[in-house]
Parts: sequence; C-alpha cells; structure tokens
Amino acid sequence: MSSAGSRKVETETPSSGATSEHVASLVGASKVFGEGDAVVRALDDVTIGFRRGQFTAVMGPSGSGKSTLMYCQSGLDRLSSGQAFVGDVDVSTLSDQELSVLRRSKLGFIFQSFHLVPALSAHENITLPVDLDSGAEVDEDFLAELAEVLGIANRLENRPSQLSGGQRQRVAVARAMIPRPDVIFADEPTGALDSKTSGELLTYLRQAVDELGQTIVMVTHDAVAASHCDRVVYVQDGRLVGEAQQPTVDDVLNKIRELS
Amino acid sequence: MIRRTFKLAWFKRSRYSLTIIAIALSVAFIVSTLLLTTSIADVGQPLNDAYEGVDVVVQGPSITAGDGPVAGIKAPVAPSVVDALTNAGFEAVGFTSSYAQILDPGGNAAGQDQASSNVAEPWLGDSPLNGYEISTGAAPAGPGEAAIDSTTADAAGLEIGSIIRYVTDNGLQEAELVGIATFGGADNDPYTSTLLLDQDDPVFVPTQGFSYVLVADGTETATVEGIAELTPNAEVLSGSDWIAEQIDLLNSFTGFFSTFLTVFAVIAVVVGMVIVTNTFTVSLAQRTEELALLRLVGTTRRQLMAQVVLEALFLGLAGTAVGVVVGLLGVNVLGWFLDILGLSIERSNAISTIAIAIGVLVGVGVTVVAAVWPAWKATEVAPIEALRSAELEPPSASRKRLMAGAAALAIGAACLVYGMVQTDILVTGIGIGGAFLALYLGADTMIRIAARLVRPLLARAGPTGTVASRNLERNAGRTSAAASALMIGVSLIGFFTLMAATIGQFIAGDSADALRVDYVVQGIGSQPEPALNDQTLSALRSSDGVDEVVPLYLTSVTSTNALEVERVGPGGGSLGVAVTEVEALRAAYDFTVNDGSLDDVAGTLVVVDQALSDSMTLAVGDTLEVTAIAGSIELEVAAIVETTLPGAPQPAIIGSLDLGTALGYNSPATVAYILGDADEAALTQAVGLPTIDVLTLDDYISSLSSNLDTILALVYALLAVAVIIALVGIANTVSLAISERLGEIAAIRAAGASSRQIFWSLISEFTILALVGVVSGLGLAWVAATAFFRALSEGQINSAQTDIATGLLIIVAGLLGGAAASWLPARNASKADILDVLRAD
Repeated sequence: MSSAGSRKVETETPSSGATSEHVASLVGASKVFGEGDAVVRALDDVTIGFRRGQFTAVMGPSGSGKSTLMYCQSGLDRLSSGQAFVGDVDVSTLSDQELSVLRRSKLGFIFQSFHLVPALSAHENITLPVDLDSGAEVDEDFLAELAEVLGIANRLENRPSQLSGGQRQRVAVARAMIPRPDVIFADEPTGALDSKTSGELLTYLRQAVDELGQTIVMVTHDAVAASHCDRVVYVQDGRLVGEAQQPTVDDVLNKIRELS
Repeated sequence: MIRRTFKLAWFKRSRYSLTIIAIALSVAFIVSTLLLTTSIADVGQPLNDAYEGVDVVVQGPSITAGDGPVAGIKAPVAPSVVDALTNAGFEAVGFTSSYAQILDPGGNAAGQDQASSNVAEPWLGDSPLNGYEISTGAAPAGPGEAAIDSTTADAAGLEIGSIIRYVTDNGLQEAELVGIATFGGADNDPYTSTLLLDQDDPVFVPTQGFSYVLVADGTETATVEGIAELTPNAEVLSGSDWIAEQIDLLNSFTGFFSTFLTVFAVIAVVVGMVIVTNTFTVSLAQRTEELALLRLVGTTRRQLMAQVVLEALFLGLAGTAVGVVVGLLGVNVLGWFLDILGLSIERSNAISTIAIAIGVLVGVGVTVVAAVWPAWKATEVAPIEALRSAELEPPSASRKRLMAGAAALAIGAACLVYGMVQTDILVTGIGIGGAFLALYLGADTMIRIAARLVRPLLARAGPTGTVASRNLERNAGRTSAAASALMIGVSLIGFFTLMAATIGQFIAGDSADALRVDYVVQGIGSQPEPALNDQTLSALRSSDGVDEVVPLYLTSVTSTNALEVERVGPGGGSLGVAVTEVEALRAAYDFTVNDGSLDDVAGTLVVVDQALSDSMTLAVGDTLEVTAIAGSIELEVAAIVETTLPGAPQPAIIGSLDLGTALGYNSPATVAYILGDADEAALTQAVGLPTIDVLTLDDYISSLSSNLDTILALVYALLAVAVIIALVGIANTVSLAISERLGEIAAIRAAGASSRQIFWSLISEFTILALVGVVSGLGLAWVAATAFFRALSEGQINSAQTDIATGLLIIVAGLLGGAAASWLPARNASKADILDVLRAD
C-alpha cells in the first residue's frame, strides 16, 4: 500500500475522444436538475477517465454527486452537457436500444439492494445479460469458475428469496462479471452487508481486478471499502476535489474529515 | 382520520383513476338502462288522462273452451249493444281497430318508426269518451276532413290545410287535414299513429261488431252493475280497470325489452364488482409493508379496516358522481340508438329519481362491499412483515378457492346435464351459473397451467420470456380477475352470436329454402298488416308475366290444450294458422310430407308441422280442438309436413280457404306469393300502394331475420359497453400488476434488456392471460347456448349453430382486446426510467 507521498493530486485529462488506456471517461460533464432558483448542479464540468484494469473508488458526502457521476458515466442517466465515453463511444449519442446492447455486453452493474430478478433462479440471474443477447452463448466454464470462487456453486438453482444478503450480492457480482464487461459499476455494493460479508466481497472484487484485469468503478462512502482500491477520487458539490492512489483507511478518513 | 384517508387516496389518484373510470362506466350503464326502462314503462300514463271520462267498458265475452277462458281472444260486441245503451240514456261508442296508414307528402308510409299500429278512430267531439283534443286547427267536421296526432304530423311533415292520403282496407283515400290532435296530454296514443275521421266515415262500419264499447254517463249514471244488466253475454268492467288492462298490455309489449335492459344492468354490476374487488386486492397487496408499518406503530386492525373502507367510499363516490352524469347523457344516446335502429320503443321524458338512487347505491355499495374482503385479508398482516422484505404470494392456488371451484363445477355440470335431459330452463340456468362460477374460481389455476404449457415457447424469446411465464404463474391469483373480466365479455358476445345464428337458422333456414316463388308481396314494416285486399290481389293476377298468385291469410288460434303447446318464439300457446288455396300453394312451396296427404286438405282437415305433431303427439286422423274468434272448432290432421311456411308467427297449421270462414277470419291477406316471370316494377305499379312491398325471394328471406338483426344490433351495442368496462378492468389489473414489478423490470433493464424486449415480454404475458379468459369465455358461451336452446325449445334445437370462423374471429378479437388493454401500461413500464426505480430503493 502506498504512503502519504502518493496523495498528490493527479489530473487525468483525456483528449476529446478517449485514449485507449481509458475504458470509460467523462469530458466536461455537467448534470443539472431543476430550474431557476431550485437549480441543482449535481455534476459541474467534470472531466475524468478510468483506466483499464484499475479499481477506482468514488467518494464524497451525501448529495455530492458521486452517484450521478456513475449513472452518467454508465449511460443510465443523460448528461446536461459534456460527453460520456465508454471505450471510444459517446454514450450520450446512443439510442435506448443501443444503450441496452451496451449494458448487456460492455457494462456490469452491482447495486446496494442487489436488484436480482425474483422470478429467476441464481443461475438464470447470472446468465441474464448473455441470454438477453440472442447471438451470445454463456461461457459455462467461466460461470462455474465464478460460482466456485464466489462460494455460490451449490446455490445456483435457488431463487433470490432463498438466499442470504451476502449470497444475493455475490450472485449480482457474478451477473456483472459474466459478459466479461469492459467496466463494472458498483453503487455502494457493501451498503446492505455486514462487515464480514463486505470484507469478503471487496476481497473478491480486488481479486477480479488483479487476476482478470477487470476495471471497476465503485461509489462508496465506506473508507474500508475505498482502501481496497487502486485509486480514490473525491467529489463535492458536483466537482472533483481530490484524488489519491493506493489509499489507506486513514488517508480516506482524513480526506473526508477535511472535506466536511 | 377522514382527512388523512382522503389525502392518502388523493396521493394515489393516478393508481385509482382506472378504478374510478370502471366504477363510473358501470354506474353510467346502470343509470342509463334503468332510466330507459322506467321511461319506457311510463309511456302508458297518457291513457289515464285520455280516458278519464270513461266510466264503463263493454267487451265481448272471453271465449271459453275446455277448462276455462282462453286468454287474449274475445268475441266482438254486436253493434246493437251500442244502440241499446244509447237508448237507455248512456253515452256509448263502439270501437273497432280500423287499419289506416297515413302517407307523407312524398307518398311513403308515415310514422313507421314509432307506431306499431296505424289506425283510424272516430272523432267524438265533446263526448267525455273522446281521448283526443285538438291542439292546433279544427276538428274533422264531416266527410273529407281529418285530424292526425301530433307525433305523426311532425314525423311526416304534414301541415294543416293540405290534402293527406291514407290507405285503409278499402284502398287509397284522401282527406283534408284540418287539425292536429294530442292524446291525454301526450303527442300520441302510445305506439299508435292515429287518423281521426268523422264518426260516419265508412271505415268505421263494423263488419263483425266492435272490439269494445266505451260508456260514460249520459242522462243516466253508468255503473258496472247497471250496464251489465243491459248487456248480458258481455264482459263489463270499470273504466279504470280497463285502462289498467290496456297499460298492462302496453307493458307486456315492452316487458321483454325492459327485462333485457335489466339483465345488462346486472351484467354491468357483476363486471364492475369483479374489477373493484381486484383493484383493492392488488393495491392492498402492494401495500403490505405500509399496512404492517401502521400496525407496528400501534394502529388497530379495526382502524386499518376503517381506513381502507373509507378509501373505497371515496372512490365509490367519485366514480358514482361521474357515472350518474354520464348515465343521464347516456340514456339519450341509448334512445338515439333505438331510433336509428327503428325499434318501436316509445319513451317519456321523465327522469326517475329511483333509477339514479339505485345507480348511486350500487356504485357506492358495490365498491365498499368489494373492498371489505381484500381489506380484511390485507389487515391480517403481522406487524413483523414490515421488517421483512415482502415476498409475493406463493405460487400455488388457494386450496379453498380450488375446492369451491370444483364444487361449483360439479353442481354446474350436474344441473346442466339434468337441465338438458329434462329440458328444464331453471335448472339449466343454475347449471350455467355454476359453470360461470367454476371458471371464475378456477381462472388462476387455468392460468398457472397455461403458463407452464407455454413456458418452453416463451423461453425461446430469452430470459424475458422465462420471466413472463414465471410471473404469470406466480401472480395468477391476482391477475386472474383480468382473465375473468375478459371471460365475461367474451362469453356474452359468444352467447348472443350463437343465439343469433341458431334462431336465424331456425327462422329462415329450412322453411325458407323450400320456397319456390319469384316474388313475395306483403305490407311494409317489420310486422306486416293484413293489407292485401281482393282488389290488390286481382291487380297482381292480371299483371304481365304472373302465372299464379297465392294469398296467405294469416291468423292465430289458441289450442284448447294450450299448456301442451310450446313453440319457440313469440306467441307462446297461440298457434299460427295460414289459410290459403292449398293446391296453388303446393306449386309455391316444396313441402316435405312426413305422413298423410296434402290432397285431403279441405274444410277442417288441415296440415300441421312436425314440431306441433311432436309436442302434442298428433298423428294423421287425430283431432285438435282450437279456439278462434268464431269460437271453438275441431280440426282434423290430414297431413304432417316437416316444415311449414316461413314468417313470424310461423304458421303451425295450414288450411284451405273455407277454414278461414269457419274460424271467423275475414281480413285481407297478409302475404301473397307470386310465381311467374314478372317485372318487379310492373308488380309495384299494379299494387299501387306505398303501404305494400314487392320483394324478390332473396329480399324476402333476408327480411325474415331483420327483426332479429335489429334486436341483435342493440344487444351488441349494449355488450360493447360491457366489454369496454371489462377492458378498462383489464387495463387496471395489468397496470397495477406491472407497477408492483417496476423494481424487477429495472433490474432486467440494467442487465441490458432493451425496452422492446421488456414490452413484448409483458404483452406476451398478458396475452396468455387474455387467451385463458377468451377460451374459457367461448367455451362457456357454447355450453350455455346449447343447454339454453335445448331447454327453451323443448328439444327442438339440439345444438347451437356453431361456426368455426366466427369462433376464431371472437378469439382473435378477444386477444387483440386483451393486448390493447395492456398495451399502454406495458409501454409505460418498458419506457420507465431505470434510475427512478433504482433511486427509490
């Protein structure tokens, strides 16, 4: 883990259009809610890139715009101005149909409240993104390997209602991993889990980055979770206000205290 | 609490808007049909005012035969009775129903839409017996002057001072129109177009006597007892009793129609109730967590119940208020529709407060009652449920529901079998009810089975298809109401379509196919008057190309053993009789003789049809005692034929011309069959009367079912309303079912499903739901129609007239309807913003 020296602010400014090392990036991204006096700038001219094989934590106080950043980057939400790239594709130019295809093939999502489909078994939930693509085949070996590593191999035929919270979240992780996406977006993935279960989940995400070269962008307010990341970016009032590489729990706690 | 409940309901107004629409439509339907029914029942009222001055009425004696008086047939009153009464110091006038069809300036029959009888009546001046008053112009003061009722004048565009033409049994006549009359304060005598002529007009000369004699005080006071002493052998009753009898007669005329409208009002209530119950079941199930939370903080179950019921009350009131307003407008739409169809249904403008009160009571009452059971179930929730993540109901049918369904099925099937074997209409009705209940209760099980059957097919569409089939199975208990609503709609449409096809076949089928004529000549209108007098018949006979003219004199007799005779269609125990030149008729109609010989028909030797022979177990040589105007008469069966002549009432008995005399029938002919290579226009010209139609054979055959077609048009219009209510119910169920699944849909969307995939998954799910409703509805319709016809026709009709193409059409239409009703909710859900849902968590 790195020391205080790595806390220097590093600004990565992708040229218009992204460089190949950035799997995802925002350029001059702004998101405005409301009108007139009630206007809220959830994102204010943010430019940021996410490198392949990097595990990034996005942190900030409630209402800072960290979730908005993730939603806009992933194409779930539309920017008011600026561009959001996944690879070299500007997601703001895509139709609903194209966005759907992008999500099932290039992106993975993990949510705080899991969002599994109750009507489907764990196995069917995991293969959902691949099955939605009529041309694609499920890589059963990869699935077996994921299930083995995640410890849900013997629960695959169960429905979500028959699984514990931790098991549900691991199913969600497997679902995000199965299409071998370019980037996984995790929105407070440990928010609904106890500390032991969250520890296991974060260890697994770390492993995915290290062993499979997976890119992960994780929104969190948990300093311990952030300490598993390669890089942490801080957001306040819709702007990037700091960034650190290889953060420790103390680094993160100090920075948060500073911000608030 | 009222305030809080109202706030909560207002908050959920979009969820409840479809429910309110459903309630409003049901209430509107009930209110408008009831208003129409009461206004129809009200049309007899003018008789009270018109005949206020009538103290006593003398009628001919009822003709008795066998066990007692025979309903509906009375002997005429001799003209001498009127003279006797007048001489004794009373005011007395004899009436006979003299046919008089008024023509409009263009020479066409006037007032055909409203009037089912066209009569001439003597103008009685200042006499208290005069039911009419001149509202404009003057009274007819002598020969060549006439007044007509205000309705007919308006309809035909006839003005005072013009020469009007009219047709009587004696042919075309002319008179100067001098006045417009009202009847008891109304614009016309109900269902009648009246021509008022001078008392001495030849049309009033009785040939056989009067139908009835009206009596009022003259120099002597008229009492029933006093008059009865003067008129032995006659039936004497008080004026008020007679008026009541006349009003009853009018109401029996429209009774079928009122019953019919009431049936539809009941259907609307049932459909409305199913929808409201379902809405509350689903919306309360969605709020398990909210309700549990309220319980957790100390709300008692009673308070919770009160809140839910109060909410239902708000909904009921809102829906009812809208419904009553729409209903008040709707009755005019219905009336307008009746006019377009040319149905002779008269209505008053009175607005019955009772009809509105019933609508309000049903609208509010049904909503509250429908909410009670779901509310009771929902408030059973344990407070702990608030803390658990709510899991939807388990994917198995409620055992109680299944058992109740099985019981209904067993009872229904038993009743149907009994009803069909014994041809018992009541038991058959119970059987149909049982079958309906079984399908209603079993709908969720059928949906589960259907879901499992189609799963492999749906799974081919990918995971969205799998999700669709699983959800279908899992939510069957709740969504089955949508299928039930559709089942009701489809079974009604199916039933009436089968009814139409079957009756149509019965009326026009075999018996019409045997007609071998070139033209049929008869009076205009749906129930032609006997309008072909000897002059007309001879004009036809002397037309170019006419080889033969076969006149049919149609009358009816009552069988002395009336109870043994059950014939399909109007008429009940009375039997249609056609009197004609039998030898000539044999060339015009291809009889299938089952027994006996047509050669023998003469005098009281008659032909009967197989159906009559079956129902009265008559064989050739047997006698049949019937009662006619002339009294009781014994007929002997000379031949039995498979079917007799088409037309309504279909004659069951055919006799020679001399039978007419024996029966006392002396009116003109009703129908004439024309054989020969004649020209239609030439025939029309030979007849020379706008009150008589010359029809080609094809036109005649299609005219046979035109009455039925009119009624059917009305049935379908009413059904359309019921079906729209059902579709609103489906849309409601679907949108509620979808709204509880937004989280799941968002999850699938986040995993990469396109909105199109979501949309089609939802549509396929609800189309299968619709399929269950449509197929069970059609099945029910077929079973009901078959059983119903067997029972009603005493076994004469053994199966409903089935038509695969129509069945398929109904299935496709039902599926399209179901898909259409779920289209908007499915589209909205598939386009919903994923983030909105994710953020809500």
